[in-house]
Amino acid sequence: MAESPTQADWRRWLEDHAPKFLLFARQRTRSEADAQDLVQEAVIEAWQRRNDDQPPPAALVFATLHRRAIDLARRDDRRAGREQAAQQPAPAAWFDTDAEDRELRQLMQDAMNRLPDIYRDVITLRVWGELTFAEIAEALRIPANTAASRYRYGLAELRKLTKEVLA
Amino acid sequence: MNDSDRKLLEVELRRLKPAAPPAEFLARLAAAPPAPQPPAIAQSRPAQRAIGLRILLRWLATATAAVAVALLLAWPSATPPPRPAHLPALAALAPLQADDVEIDHRLVSAFDAVARLPDGVPVRLRCREWVDNVVLRDSAQGVEVEQRTPQLEIIPVRLETY
Repeated sequence: MAESPTQADWRRWLEDHAPKFLLFARQRTRSEADAQDLVQEAVIEAWQRRNDDQPPPAALVFATLHRRAIDLARRDDRRAGREQAAQQPAPAAWFDTDAEDRELRQLMQDAMNRLPDIYRDVITLRVWGELTFAEIAEALRIPANTAASRYRYGLAELRKLTKEVLA
Repeated sequence: MNDSDRKLLEVELRRLKPAAPPAEFLARLAAAPPAPQPPAIAQSRPAQRAIGLRILLRWLATATAAVAVALLLAWPSATPPPRPAHLPALAALAPLQADDVEIDHRLVSAFDAVARLPDGVPVRLRCREWVDNVVLRDSAQGVEVEQRTPQLEIIPVRLETY
């Protein structure tokens, strides 16, 4: 049976946006399963908050992801004692494992992982989420000026971290 | 970190693409609700019937409310209050011609009270309660109209103190 145009649009929208949502979620969670659940819940919630049938704007999904990640972290903190002991599977790769960029990918993932959350969120939303500073501000509930300054400081910190790794 | 360094780093970062989600996760997302709302023309007949019924019910509810309001507003003029049987219909009456008028001025109660003026001087208040009673009679039509008006009379009287 042929897909209706709406379903095709939905699939196309998912293929375009799911990688960056999942990247953001992976950075905010402790396991791949949590990240995937987070994305699914955020996409559904953002979609349901729309009155029309159009896919939700990426900024709205990121905002929902951010809020839900905070809720998840709070729940995780409460059960941290018993969960820390459990064996966690190796974290999924954040970036595409292209042979040419493999070293850069690993370097950046390590550096991003060591970056404070407040910088990493803004850099991820700006570079891979392709949001404006105004959208980032809305998603993270911070002033736009703060988002811009965190981006600058974050890039400087990231450069420092990558230099340390390379050295 | 200057601007050129920053731009260089941004270019490096943009070279990295977010890892593609696992196929099964994408399939789960695609299948997960919210299922995209199909266009209206693709709706099944029961669904269309349900929507039609809902619209009809909405209109009926609105119309019923409007009729109820209209009835409430029109009720006093449509159904005048019941009149005592012994009174003739007002429309059938000719203008009243009082052939007997009775005016009564009755004292209902009288009492005295003592109060103090702002400067401390005591004053006695002589209070009288009256009722003015006016009765108009039209013996030709057998109509009697009675009006009572209460009145309160207060007369201050100097209270002699020694």
